[in-house]
Amino acid sequence: MATRAVEVVYRGIFQRTLARNIVRQIVFAARKDGKIGTAFGRYSDSPERNGIPAKQFAVVADTALELEESLAVYEATMVDVTINVDDTMCKGLESWAWYGLQPINEVTKPGGTLIVTSRQSADALLEDIHQKKDPYNLSIIPSTVSFSGLWVFKDDHTDMRALGAMCKACPELVSIKAMLESVQEQTGNEAKVASVQRAFDRGTSRPVEPGEGNTETPFSFDMPGWKTMEEGLVIRAQKEGTGFRGGEGGYTPGRSETFKKWSTRSMRPVINFDTCIKCTLCWLQCPDTVFDITPDGLYDANMEACCGCGVCEAVCPVPDCITMVGEPEFNDNSSQYDAWTADKDGYNKWMTVLVEKQKSETRTHGFHHVGGYAEEIAASEEA
Amino acid sequence: MATVQDLPQITGVKNIPVEEFYNSGHRTCQGCESALVMRLMIKAAGQRTIVLGSTGCMYVANTTYYSTPWVVPWMHTQLGSAGSAATGTAAGLASMMRKGKMTQEPINVIAFCGDGGGVDMGLSAISAALQHDEYNLLIICYDNESYANTDIQASGSTPWGANTTFSPTGKDIRIMNTKQKKNMAPMIATGHPNMRFVATACASYGLDFNNKVRRALTIGGPTFIHCIDPCPKGWDYDPKYSHELGMLAIETGLWIQYEITDGELILNGPSRAIAKGIRKRKPVEEYLMRQGRFAHFLPEDIKFFQDKVEETWEKWWIPGLIPITPGQDD
Amino acid sequence: MATVKPRLYEESKEELISGSEAVGIACALADVDVITAYPIRPYDTVMQYVSRLKADGAFDFDFIIAESEHSQFEIVKHASAVGARTFSGSSGVGWFYAFEAITVTAGLRMPVVAMVGNRALDDPGAFGVEHNDAMAVRDLGWHLYWVATAQEALDMALMAWRIAEDPTVLLPFALSCDGSFLTHSQAIVQVPSQDQVDRFLPPYKRGTLQLHPDNPITIAPQVNEDWLMEIRRQTDEAMRRTSAVIRQAHEEFREIFGRGDPSPFIEEFMCEDAEIILVGMGTLAMPTRVAVRRLRAAGKKVGFLRIKFFRPFAAEEVQEALGDAKAVAVIDRDYSYGSPSGGGVLFHELRSTLYPLDKRPLMLNFIAGLGGREVTVDDINMMTETAQKAIDTGKIEQETTWVSVRE
Repeated sequence: MATRAVEVVYRGIFQRTLARNIVRQIVFAARKDGKIGTAFGRYSDSPERNGIPAKQFAVVADTALELEESLAVYEATMVDVTINVDDTMCKGLESWAWYGLQPINEVTKPGGTLIVTSRQSADALLEDIHQKKDPYNLSIIPSTVSFSGLWVFKDDHTDMRALGAMCKACPELVSIKAMLESVQEQTGNEAKVASVQRAFDRGTSRPVEPGEGNTETPFSFDMPGWKTMEEGLVIRAQKEGTGFRGGEGGYTPGRSETFKKWSTRSMRPVINFDTCIKCTLCWLQCPDTVFDITPDGLYDANMEACCGCGVCEAVCPVPDCITMVGEPEFNDNSSQYDAWTADKDGYNKWMTVLVEKQKSETRTHGFHHVGGYAEEIAASEEA
Repeated sequence: MATVQDLPQITGVKNIPVEEFYNSGHRTCQGCESALVMRLMIKAAGQRTIVLGSTGCMYVANTTYYSTPWVVPWMHTQLGSAGSAATGTAAGLASMMRKGKMTQEPINVIAFCGDGGGVDMGLSAISAALQHDEYNLLIICYDNESYANTDIQASGSTPWGANTTFSPTGKDIRIMNTKQKKNMAPMIATGHPNMRFVATACASYGLDFNNKVRRALTIGGPTFIHCIDPCPKGWDYDPKYSHELGMLAIETGLWIQYEITDGELILNGPSRAIAKGIRKRKPVEEYLMRQGRFAHFLPEDIKFFQDKVEETWEKWWIPGLIPITPGQDD
Repeated sequence: MATVKPRLYEESKEELISGSEAVGIACALADVDVITAYPIRPYDTVMQYVSRLKADGAFDFDFIIAESEHSQFEIVKHASAVGARTFSGSSGVGWFYAFEAITVTAGLRMPVVAMVGNRALDDPGAFGVEHNDAMAVRDLGWHLYWVATAQEALDMALMAWRIAEDPTVLLPFALSCDGSFLTHSQAIVQVPSQDQVDRFLPPYKRGTLQLHPDNPITIAPQVNEDWLMEIRRQTDEAMRRTSAVIRQAHEEFREIFGRGDPSPFIEEFMCEDAEIILVGMGTLAMPTRVAVRRLRAAGKKVGFLRIKFFRPFAAEEVQEALGDAKAVAVIDRDYSYGSPSGGGVLFHELRSTLYPLDKRPLMLNFIAGLGGREVTVDDINMMTETAQKAIDTGKIEQETTWVSVRE
């Protein structure tokens, strides 16, 4: 007599197929255990945006009646397992379905498990993951985050690893035996079955105590009601920009007070202000109006606006002047220009370390060319 | 005819205005080139502008209730109504200013639509709007080659063979979308003889686009710009390549950059160099193989695609524009 | 430089005009800024009239000949957003072609005034009156009014802008005029003077909701389930507020123009002590009045209630008017296939209105006059007789009757 729920938190479009594979496979496997289940994506997340956090769910019950009971609430408010397939979302979720930042473990139930695909350590992840008042478990699948696009799926078995880890973390949900049988039946692929088994065997979890983790209060938003909302479907326009940070010279565009992009990106640009030739290209070609123009004509990427697309890096004509660096390296959204002006040597040392480290990073953000995923998978297996 | 604003041509990227009128607050995809079109469009137009946006990504992803990226006044219009929105806004302003109900001043009116709203559903209303010589208005079609907002369904602007959720490649049918992309800007230019300015553009060439917007807003009467917008979601590529794919579309000769002013055609940038023989077109394969939507292509499909590009450049009366050959008697 | 406003009527004056022309004159008197037209019978006679006024320099407005009804209504919607007073209209399937735009006009709270020249819906193509076209907006936040005479068409058009543009309301107004009987028949109409109109109708001021660079706003961002209930509730409240605005405007109208029924919502004709009350809308009021007058002369206690505002629906006034009747016979110039008892839209609205009464009258429904077929005095007599029979036997044999239909 039980109903169990899993949420898969993923980057829209990039990981849609991945998430779908996981939740569907859970339901298929549950059938092997004689249970019944349902899998669905959250409607409010669609149409999905490339990179914007989204969720899919699998709910499994012993009987159809129990399943119906649990589905009386469409979106699960408590889940046994949260599977986060991009560790950068440990900083929290700002979906396009709500305002404010939702901690990654918000709906993980007391004693439940948060599974994260990551190369980071648990301690490093807990610097980002918001604290909870109840204990839960953290389980890490040590692998590179898998991104692909709408049409071509990067079949690197991340889905299989997540399933194996999930069976370990919550055997009440689906037994490993049922999972292995079901994966064999659904995919007919021995290598995938082996991936599930391996992830199950290697799966470990670490208890997280109440209060452990990121202590900052996630920003929230109070929704007005019909009496205070403006009539005629009107909202006030964005504010006009000012001089750099409100001062003389340069320029800072107006920034949204209700929607921050802090959790939308998995990378951010790191800028070498000393080699910048002020060509304007990063600023001009940025779809997100990210760059504040400093009084001395440099471009400071403002993290209230950046969604981490990497166009600025791609268009910059100076080698290593702009480098996209993974979000796990950052614990705040402060200005790089401020850091540089305060201590140029210190900044440059920090930057150089990050840039060098990034060069060995294997993380990719989708389709590069036909056959590219096969090359990436082969390379990661060699490594 | 109402007077126009003083919006001089911008000489060089360093002179592009710093002021932004499309800021954070939108929820578009990473690397969204259409968002860049919005930003550059309103940067060129300035604060005394009203923007009307028809349904599509640049509505739904841009303006989700309680946040907006727009500094200027902005209003939604229905999917097929970019033309009507521009006409109604311009007519309302003109009438009230003429009758002394509103202070006289030139206010730019820009309506935008995606390819679904422009090339498909809104074509009739756009055509009607472009007949109104008495109003200054600009219609911009941001073309990401599918109904990208609703999850990538084929439109009349989707290229031959592209994977979409309405034209998936399957076991039996490899190429579901057998339609050729509509030839929108020339259709507009040839169909509305009084129009003074029609152009194609690509946000990868930001300065060129800025200046086209300014020419469109200052020449007087209704004008039209058609932009090609690489779409990381629907085209399936790493978002950092948005800029590069825009350039590749032009360098392969697939998209041709031009402007038609008072009936006179000028090719711009790489398209001009290609036409003059200064620059060779890159093979379309370089463009196609970078996008997941064409990953199912066999060599014969790539050849078919390339052949169509050749035909456009070699056989059309005006390369890239007019697919008509004068009869032998001429 | 502002042009001098043409003054069509320095003095109040009688004219021999159709209902469409009456609405056209109201457009000029109201100094409408933008009008959009697209041809379809029968409403387009109003557009033919205003285009003539423009050609003659009698009325200054921006006249847009749209390429479809959809564009017609989108254009006025957007003109209204920047603060322009607007007018448009359509008929039958043309009105339906515009329906997307018509829907959002109310959602956006744009006080567009539209004339619906009521016409049967295709197929088959038919030009005559039916009410189903205009009726389709009844749930959307449009004011919906049925006119009975050319004079009323003019008067209510002026009322329409006054009510729709009230800052506490901002909801569009559909002025329903029966095709042919109103749109193409001429009657003597007292046209008011421009001064009278100026005293009655203030300029349209959209205030902080106006789309203009001096008031930068975003209008109609996408919403999800977190917001839509609140937005619908706002429109609901505006529709609730409009009843008081209508009453106030009606009082001032009577004062300035010296005419008008006691109630803006309904017209009661010989309803006092009536045992049978016929209920209907629009121009069928005329044959019905004649029949009722004759029946009264013959000693029958019969009355007629004309519903003028279908939205907002004045439930209390209707309850008051019908509460003491023994039988109510509702004449629908519309249909609602598959509805309860197969009756018309007006019938169901009335039955719902009267349900809370302690003593409910017997209710009968007559579908009549579809496609422009005349509703005759004989038809009304038949309805009255049927109602009398129901009273006498205490039983309704057939709730819905199609009148004068060949078998």
